[in-house]
Amino acid sequence: MWSLLTPLLYLAIFTFIFSKAFPDLENYPLYALTGLIFWNFYSNATTTAINSVINSRGVLKSLKVETIALPISEVVTSIINLLFSFIPFGILMVVFDASIGFETLFIFFAMLLFALFTLGIGLFVCAFNVYFRDVGLLYTSLTPALFYFTPIAYSTKLVPEQFQLLIKLNPLYHFMELFRTILYYNQIPDLYQWSLVICITAFFFGVGLLVFKKLEKGFISNY
Amino acid sequence: MEADNQNKEVIIEAKNLSVGFLVTKHGINNFKDFLLTMGIRKLFENKEVLNDFSLTIYKGECFGIMGRNGSGKSTFLRAISGIMKPNKGTLTVNGKVAPMMALGVGLEPELTGLENIKLLGTLMGLTQKEIKQSLQDIIAFSELSEYDINSQVKRYSQGMLARLAFSITVAKDPEILIVDEALTVGDLGFKQKCAQRIEEIRKNGSTIIYVSHHLEDIKSICKRACFIKDGKVLKVGSIEEISDLYELEMARKKN
Repeated sequence: MWSLLTPLLYLAIFTFIFSKAFPDLENYPLYALTGLIFWNFYSNATTTAINSVINSRGVLKSLKVETIALPISEVVTSIINLLFSFIPFGILMVVFDASIGFETLFIFFAMLLFALFTLGIGLFVCAFNVYFRDVGLLYTSLTPALFYFTPIAYSTKLVPEQFQLLIKLNPLYHFMELFRTILYYNQIPDLYQWSLVICITAFFFGVGLLVFKKLEKGFISNY
Repeated sequence: MEADNQNKEVIIEAKNLSVGFLVTKHGINNFKDFLLTMGIRKLFENKEVLNDFSLTIYKGECFGIMGRNGSGKSTFLRAISGIMKPNKGTLTVNGKVAPMMALGVGLEPELTGLENIKLLGTLMGLTQKEIKQSLQDIIAFSELSEYDINSQVKRYSQGMLARLAFSITVAKDPEILIVDEALTVGDLGFKQKCAQRIEEIRKNGSTIIYVSHHLEDIKSICKRACFIKDGKVLKVGSIEEISDLYELEMARKKN
């Protein structure tokens, strides 16, 4: 319930401050909202997943439980929260004049990819966090930087030419573009956009899973 | 004694078992230090806790494990549970293991007793149906009142926590039950009840592995035992022999 408050507060702040700053974005509140909803999911899911193993070390020391189930369950919880938050946010989007049509259904497939990507990041940081407890803290400190590095409150069109490539190196950028294509521009993403995001997802999920499985063997020594 | 054992079914067999922990080689336990000391290649090395460890436990017996702190008792139990993998040697376990966990482990403080029964039951591998069936038995065994079972576990006393945890573990007769110094809390009546229940489980054909420093407790429950020293089985024998050895070892340390 209260988890809805954070994106709403950001939305209010951004709308107040930036509405006039980005004249090329018509309907700025909708633009910001479509980014904030998914950022909120990403940041909640990774933060809880990263600490999930450490927080259950007592159980893991004395019971045979599939360790990977813990970060997975945290991401699943966040997904369910995200789906429920669509009810109030959906209403809000309609208030902001969003049009909902057949193409909106593609958001669920996009979300599935995003969830797998998020899980990949979560597994990766979670595994290292068991060995080095400050990795989680480091990640938490870097999260706000990632937030502003991702075009959530601003449009990429405003980024100077020479930094465009840098922005595109951020995997979250491509997800945000995908979500906005569907929810803000009301279009079905083209094949290029889909394949790019599927490749990013496969890479991050694969690496995360591999690293977690590899490091899992030494977890018991580091609880 | 040995002839006696030959007719019995082996439930746990460890042969030349080595189980180890990773220990930090240079005391680097955070990422900052890791970055600052780039160039040191090997961060961790393996330290064997159990070394060339061989032990056979038979079906239906109550087996005691004794040894000083840090001798490798818990590591052996973790190897049986499948939490730690052996580096060398073989370990065969022919049954499902139910560990009695340290006090309050796995209980979620914010949830009620009832919800915790469901949670811990699931973690122990019980199905939803089994939990539903044994729910009343668990509550009855724990002797917690209707009011207590519906209040948050964080409001429980130590004894109540122990009651709840024990009741969940013994809800269904496990094939192998591990009791690791868990009965030291709780009032006398509950302790006796636990001992009775353990005996009942054994009679139903389960195997019990009992770890304790309480000589009286272990003597009253177990028939056979072993003494572990520095990750090796020093001696296997009747409980009397082993408790004598235990007392001897303790006395030797004092002098």
